[in-house]
Amino acid sequence: MTGLGQAEGMEATNPGERTGGRVVRGRLFGRNVLDGVFRAAPDEDLFLGELLVAVDAATDRRYLFRVVDVTYGSEHREPGWAERIAGTLLADDERGEAGLHPLHEQARRTYRVAACRCLGYLAPPERPGAPRTVFRKPKSLPTQFSAVVAPEAEDFEFLARQMGDLPVGQLRSGETVVDLRVGIPGASLATHVGIFATTGMGKSNLMQVLAAGAMRANGRYGLLVIDPHGEYRTALGRHPWAGEALRVYANRALPATSSLRISLAELSVDDLRTAYEWSRPQEEALYELERHYSTGSGAAGVSTSSGGEAGQGLAWLAAFAAIDDLAGFRDVELSARVALSTLQVVHRRARRITTLRCISPDPAVSVGGRIISDLLAGKVVLVDVSGLGSTEEVLVGSFLTRRVLDEWQAAYLDDPERHRRMPVVAIALEEAQRVLSGNKDRESNVFPRLAREGRKFNVGLCAITQQPRLLDDELLSQFNTFFILGLADDKDRNILRSSSKQDISAQSAEIQTLMPGECLIANLAAPFAVPALIDRYDHLIRDTPPPPAPRPTAAANVSALVD
Amino acid sequence: MTAITDTATRLARLLTAGGDALRDPTGSGLVFEPLIDLGPLERQAPPPDVWAVDGGQALVADARTVQLYVTRAATVRWRDGAVVSEDEGELRAHLVGAGEERRSLAALGSPVAPDAAVDVNLLRDWGEWAAVAAAVDAAEPEALVLVDGDLQPDWRIPSQWLADLLARAAERRVTLAGVTKHSSLALGGAPLLGVLERRAERELGPRTRWWAKVATTRPDVGAGLVVVVARLDPDAPFAFRVDLPAGADPAAVLGSLAALSDDAAFPGYPYPLTVADRLAACPGWLRQDIWDQVEAGLAGAGVPADVRDRAFTDRHRLMERS
Repeated sequence: MTGLGQAEGMEATNPGERTGGRVVRGRLFGRNVLDGVFRAAPDEDLFLGELLVAVDAATDRRYLFRVVDVTYGSEHREPGWAERIAGTLLADDERGEAGLHPLHEQARRTYRVAACRCLGYLAPPERPGAPRTVFRKPKSLPTQFSAVVAPEAEDFEFLARQMGDLPVGQLRSGETVVDLRVGIPGASLATHVGIFATTGMGKSNLMQVLAAGAMRANGRYGLLVIDPHGEYRTALGRHPWAGEALRVYANRALPATSSLRISLAELSVDDLRTAYEWSRPQEEALYELERHYSTGSGAAGVSTSSGGEAGQGLAWLAAFAAIDDLAGFRDVELSARVALSTLQVVHRRARRITTLRCISPDPAVSVGGRIISDLLAGKVVLVDVSGLGSTEEVLVGSFLTRRVLDEWQAAYLDDPERHRRMPVVAIALEEAQRVLSGNKDRESNVFPRLAREGRKFNVGLCAITQQPRLLDDELLSQFNTFFILGLADDKDRNILRSSSKQDISAQSAEIQTLMPGECLIANLAAPFAVPALIDRYDHLIRDTPPPPAPRPTAAANVSALVD
Repeated sequence: MTAITDTATRLARLLTAGGDALRDPTGSGLVFEPLIDLGPLERQAPPPDVWAVDGGQALVADARTVQLYVTRAATVRWRDGAVVSEDEGELRAHLVGAGEERRSLAALGSPVAPDAAVDVNLLRDWGEWAAVAAAVDAAEPEALVLVDGDLQPDWRIPSQWLADLLARAAERRVTLAGVTKHSSLALGGAPLLGVLERRAERELGPRTRWWAKVATTRPDVGAGLVVVVARLDPDAPFAFRVDLPAGADPAAVLGSLAALSDDAAFPGYPYPLTVADRLAACPGWLRQDIWDQVEAGLAGAGVPADVRDRAFTDRHRLMERS
């Protein structure tokens, strides 16, 4: 009598037996260098996204696999075998005779087949007993019928060194959380970060966790968060390090916040073009007005502090908004070069802008300088624009982004030594498709410029959106880091597949089935898209120790002696 | 087309009005019951020890003057609802033709007369019956030994050999049962089993287990057997011919056999036999593996490649492809 079949030369283990203290989950039997399939017992609970290791006893390599699909298999090759059985069982159920026809020895006749993507392999240690530190991309086949086991802690040690200094959560294997912190290098903020998820999947929590990481980075990273819904202020304010590392500016009068006041003189026509949809005649009217007020012909209508001189941004907007006789202004001041209806649109928008609480005609009250200072100090700057409309929010975001980009660019070009000391800074923007879609005016829009040029100056964009398919392909390709949370729409997943810096082509089903808080992190720092369970921000701040007390400073006289 | 239409007409007549004479076209010496009574069958407890034997064969290479076959007989033991041992059987290679088949037969130690004609059916069948005999000897009392097919070995195996085996089984209180998936028993021109299935549905209802005694073996042809037809599960798509020793209680044996025939994959057929059937199969990869070994042997013996090719190339298939 023979046993149940064992390949010659294989380890003396069968699925279900233990090898080296680990349960053998299956045996690898097919596919190619990049993909594998293994057979598992019919009751083996395999999850999409689960990380498993194929132990190649012949080469002493440990191949890391990610489960991308699980299907049924059976020893029977007749067409319709499984369907027939299901029919028999169903008929028994319908007659109330469940169990009348058992499937004898189901464990032997049926099995599961897991399709996997090979992530790479851990090379043998330099000497017996030494840790495996070298992880290579897959370029060879593991020995056929290698045992597939659950990974051990040391299988991920190589990963720990590549997870960067902005931790966001724990490594996840299917639905199992692995005791390994995962995150991204803070420097990768400059190469742009995309956070993609449908509602309720954990975008806001992830943003808060990222902000918490930046707060604890001792000034290495600045993060400017434009918060349209006022959802971050309270949460980030509770962070133990918020006192030192968080600054909050708000459009509304809110406790523990600084007032967000932007001078019209700081705004530019490009900010207007970014925030609002303008027709071509309306854009012409904008430039006509700018020209009118900058040449001095309109200076009489502008306050002395912002008279129509060049370099005063949109200061003229206040004077223009104050005009009551628009028809007369058009005929006399603009020599009827602009259609009245067009001018009326611009005028309405000017009035709305100039009456915004956060907009001031006085250039002396600008908040831009202070925000730049905060970011230079490596703080998290939260700009609470709740209460503003979507377009005004973009107007504020456009202005602040331009200020930051100009500041970092100027330092890069004019004072490299200062630029080297400046923190990496990122600007987080919700509903990023509003400013990064393909049909947005690239000439005036600062956000595409940031996406294309920012990395050179250490300024990155953190784009948050539910609809990555609406982002411009070329701009999306500039993003080196993707946080992919649950995405239900296939078109969204497809666009990310084609733009990701790691191969996620086989993970559509996994992305589709991600639960809230579960995500894939794809960036160049890690050798593959890393599955993660994002920390819950509430738990994170609960477990965060307070910042260390400032070092005591010497008394003045002692300082003098030292000097 | 007319010829085909005529053929269909004649076939229809055979199936529906071919007469009411019971026949066994294989001429195995059965005495049919004058009247076939259908009776309900009650499922009983499964036998404590069940053995199942099935044989398989495959043509590996054909030089027309001589063929290379492989045969094997698989044995499965079933207890307490699970297979406890399985033996796919030794794979035996046989050369058939040019007198080589006698060497194979002699190597098997069969009781077949030395001057009897030998073909692969005999070689396979004897291997199968040798496995049945081994199962009978190894089985515990009250065991049931299942055979794929009827209980009538190849005609060249002496009937006394089967009689001795049945006697030995009876002495050990072991029951043999042969289950035939595709019976040639006929009623007139129609397959008997199909006729009985339709009749049972009319007389006993659609979801019933039933059985009917059909025939016994003629006293002058050897061991006494009783041939029955049984539907072993209420949801079985087919009834099967079952051969039992003449001394067996058909209702009791079939009742216990029904307890083995409830597998959801094929209700009505004994599950241990399906396991034996799978084990005994000689799939394509096995044939290829054997041929690779034979080719290596031929090459080692200095047979040029073109001689091998000319001998074993399937010229008919080659011409069909050209």
